[in-house]
Amino acid sequence: MSAAAAPAARRTSRVSSPPPWANKGLAVLVALLAIMLPLFFDPISGFIDDAVVALAYVIMALGLNVVVGFAGLLDLGYVAFFAIGAFTTGWFMSGFYVDANIHILTSGPVGTLPGIHLNFIFVLVIAAFLCALAGTLIGLPTLRLRGDYIAIVTLAFGEIIRVFAVNGDTISIAHGAKLTGGRQGITPVDQVKLPFLDPFTQLNLRPWYWFVLALVFIVLFVVIRLRDSRMGRAWIAIREDEVAAASMGVPLVKTKLLAYTVGGAIGGVAGAFLAAYLNTVNADQFAFSFSIFVLAMVILGGLGSVWGVVLGAVLLSFINNRLIPDVLDSVPGKLGLNFNLTDLGFGIFGFLLVIVMILRPEGLLPERRRQLELHEGIDSGESVFEARV
Amino acid sequence: MSAATESQPTADREPYAGDLLTAEGVSKIFGGLVAVNEVTFAIPTRSIVSIIGPNGAGKTTFFNMLTGLYKPTFGRISFSGKDITGMRPDRITASGVARTFQNIRLFGTMSALENVLVGQHSRMRAGLVGSVLRTPRTRREEKAVREKARETLAYVGLRPSSFDQLAINLAYGDQRRVEIARALASDPVLLLLDEPTAGMNPQESAALTDFMRKLRDERDLTILLIEHDMKVVMGVSEKVTVLDHGEKIAEGEPAAVRDNQRVIEAYLGKQGAAE
Amino acid sequence: MKAWANKWGLIVVLLALPVYYGIKDLADTGSLSHLGQNLLAGLSNGSIWALIAVGYTLVYGIIELINFAHGDVFMIGSFVTAGLFGTIGLGLTSGPLGIGFGLLAILLIAMVTCGVLNVMIERVAYRPLRSAPKLAPLITAVGFSFILQNVGLLWLGGSPASVPDLIHAQQDVFTVFGITVQRADLLAFAVTIPLVAAMTIFIARTKLGKAMRATAQDPDAARLMGINVDTTISLTFLIGGMLAGAAGLIYALYQTTIWFFQGFQAGLIAFTAAVMGGIGNIRGAVLGGLIIGCIQQISDNRIGTQWTPAIVFAYLILIMVFRPQGLLGEETREAG
Repeated sequence: MSAAAAPAARRTSRVSSPPPWANKGLAVLVALLAIMLPLFFDPISGFIDDAVVALAYVIMALGLNVVVGFAGLLDLGYVAFFAIGAFTTGWFMSGFYVDANIHILTSGPVGTLPGIHLNFIFVLVIAAFLCALAGTLIGLPTLRLRGDYIAIVTLAFGEIIRVFAVNGDTISIAHGAKLTGGRQGITPVDQVKLPFLDPFTQLNLRPWYWFVLALVFIVLFVVIRLRDSRMGRAWIAIREDEVAAASMGVPLVKTKLLAYTVGGAIGGVAGAFLAAYLNTVNADQFAFSFSIFVLAMVILGGLGSVWGVVLGAVLLSFINNRLIPDVLDSVPGKLGLNFNLTDLGFGIFGFLLVIVMILRPEGLLPERRRQLELHEGIDSGESVFEARV
Repeated sequence: MSAATESQPTADREPYAGDLLTAEGVSKIFGGLVAVNEVTFAIPTRSIVSIIGPNGAGKTTFFNMLTGLYKPTFGRISFSGKDITGMRPDRITASGVARTFQNIRLFGTMSALENVLVGQHSRMRAGLVGSVLRTPRTRREEKAVREKARETLAYVGLRPSSFDQLAINLAYGDQRRVEIARALASDPVLLLLDEPTAGMNPQESAALTDFMRKLRDERDLTILLIEHDMKVVMGVSEKVTVLDHGEKIAEGEPAAVRDNQRVIEAYLGKQGAAE
Repeated sequence: MKAWANKWGLIVVLLALPVYYGIKDLADTGSLSHLGQNLLAGLSNGSIWALIAVGYTLVYGIIELINFAHGDVFMIGSFVTAGLFGTIGLGLTSGPLGIGFGLLAILLIAMVTCGVLNVMIERVAYRPLRSAPKLAPLITAVGFSFILQNVGLLWLGGSPASVPDLIHAQQDVFTVFGITVQRADLLAFAVTIPLVAAMTIFIARTKLGKAMRATAQDPDAARLMGINVDTTISLTFLIGGMLAGAAGLIYALYQTTIWFFQGFQAGLIAFTAAVMGGIGNIRGAVLGGLIIGCIQQISDNRIGTQWTPAIVFAYLILIMVFRPQGLLGEETREAG
């Protein structure tokens, strides 16, 4: 056992620190604030618009956190689940398939339009299911691969799906119906109409906000419960040392696939929601940079840390949608430079990634354990793998 | 018997008549290198047996084949009458074989308790849905499993104040204890210990030796050791097998093996043996 | 047995496209010259990918890291090349001698620039993270990739920019067996072959080259033998970057269009090539580059450019799953 463990032993002791009720109290407070937030803003304010998108990203990040954070499977193709989820909305909640005439639990004017029209709740469920399936299929080839190879294979899958999204308008599936709407996309998407509520419109963003917030609560609930269960422990064990995990009776294949399945399903739900909110499903939404964007949220927040990931998603979404394009955009111009800050979007983002990895790789709100793992490796100059093996 | 073990079929608790584990003509070839060459070996039920040999003799490779980390190139391995050759490691563990590692491989960012909980993975039933919904059955199982984990940690001699400590923060001796507890967590019938006394002083080694006897007597365990510490080997083994360059060169009772010329040569080299 | 089947299975799968279209051509037109034309273009394009792939394979061989920013270094090479045309005063009206020497000078400058850029990326993004979990340097690599792409974006804008056709790339030079060789093809081979040869000799014969091989095999042993591992790693990045710079120049003159996003696409294609040949194996990278070039050309020409990325990536996934050691790599040890 390496000597590097000895100094660390004096540093921290117990796994749990603040009393449980303090954490729960804080969580309840944050939840209440979140619920009341839209009441302080105009129903069509840009702030709520950003908030809705941010919350959708929170769901995405939570899903990716299951795959990368819990199970340690480096997925660089998470955009695949966004795409499939979004297409579920596009296929089953619009007039895209004009020759079909299916209506399930819809109401109002939509009830008479051609196309496939399912109630939004059904669409969400189908999206989760399709993405769970896709997750399993994407995960299968990666099972015996090393970390960086998993990254490349998942990236490849993401790109393949993008190619199909872009060119889907040339692929016929049945009776002249196409797979996707290509670059033009599938638009418009039906109004979201939930039972007992008025339909959501673009004139009042508050219901959208509360709906996605409810989804966030549900996903948080699921993810936290899983983390503290037999499955969560199995995932973290695999992340730490998969050989030891297998030797302790953890079935690698099944457990890894379940991580992809759960992570994918969550991404699909977020994707389906975003498609309905943005009222469009087009191929340009599904670039590789999206996968990196969500991954950055997970890393910035803290790999494996549920609350960290929430924070990371909110922050990055805000920086990307508000801070750079609106607040700071003209700063370079004021400094005499010949471009806007938005033109530097890519570069700023890349810079952020580099800085975080070098200065604070454990993220903003690290899963407490991770801090030890990463700093030990970097500071002591000794390989973290040496210490563990 | 705790509730956790009741819910999952474990290996037969009746001592298996005959040799618990047999390896017949087992070989492992990596590319051009023959790491293990036609080793035939048997462990009688409820015994403590050791494998010794100079460094590089192929002991850990052989071990890894017994636990499923390597697939034998040739040969057959049976456990409790069942053929386990080339079986996946998690299936072998589920069948009742558990192991510790030469360099401790605890899950560093988990607590001692959580490490032991992972050890019980194959004995638990909780699935995704049950975990999310916390059904009564899941809650009962989780409670029983935690209880059992605490018992096991206490059994191996870990202080309760250390149960929730991060494994990576524990003292070396405690980490070894947790490793054994984690192996015991799956209710094994056969326990494989890879150099369990590495880094221990004589008192600690003696304590571990007593503990092994306790495991055999109180828990009906059969134990296979890889060891370098001859005092431990001689003191606790009922049978000793010697490997050198991947081959079995001697086998028998500890005293007989110790005086075996070939064994002495293997360890000391022919010059040393002649002196 | 399984390894043998996988290797030949891979070869069969790789041959599938050319063989299918070859048979189709014979049936339709009785001549293989169309396929031959595809293959020629495949080889010359492939030589660009080969140069980039060698960079990937050298770096992976020595520090087991996928240099995600490598493709974008290639892109910078193209941009530097195009930028220097104006600086040196090369234009369509320059005489052949001027163009010849001018390009040679630009080649050297582009190679050095990209080599140094690659070394700098290693210093800033990878070296501090050498003992961190593999995720860390991969992320910083992606970060640098984005930074470089932004540089390209600011340099020449978001749309593809055209480059003066200095060598008259599309001009036919000669025809053999019904296959027409163009200047672009000759350029590609003229630059690639000497570079690959020079590099192979360097690695095989010189002291530094041997140090590279030793470090790639076993860094700790190399250190014990007195090899400065850090310098060796920097040297590896330098060579990889230089080759990427050369590839950038060829690409700019060959395609006469450059784009800030070309590095991302090229990077993935070249990485597929490196894996196909056997990651860590230089000959494999070159072979992989040529093969991928051919597949890509056949796909572009016969199936449609819009589908090519999907086809290349499908090959990548197949290789990773069934034969991760590629064509020339060795079976790796099992986990233990």
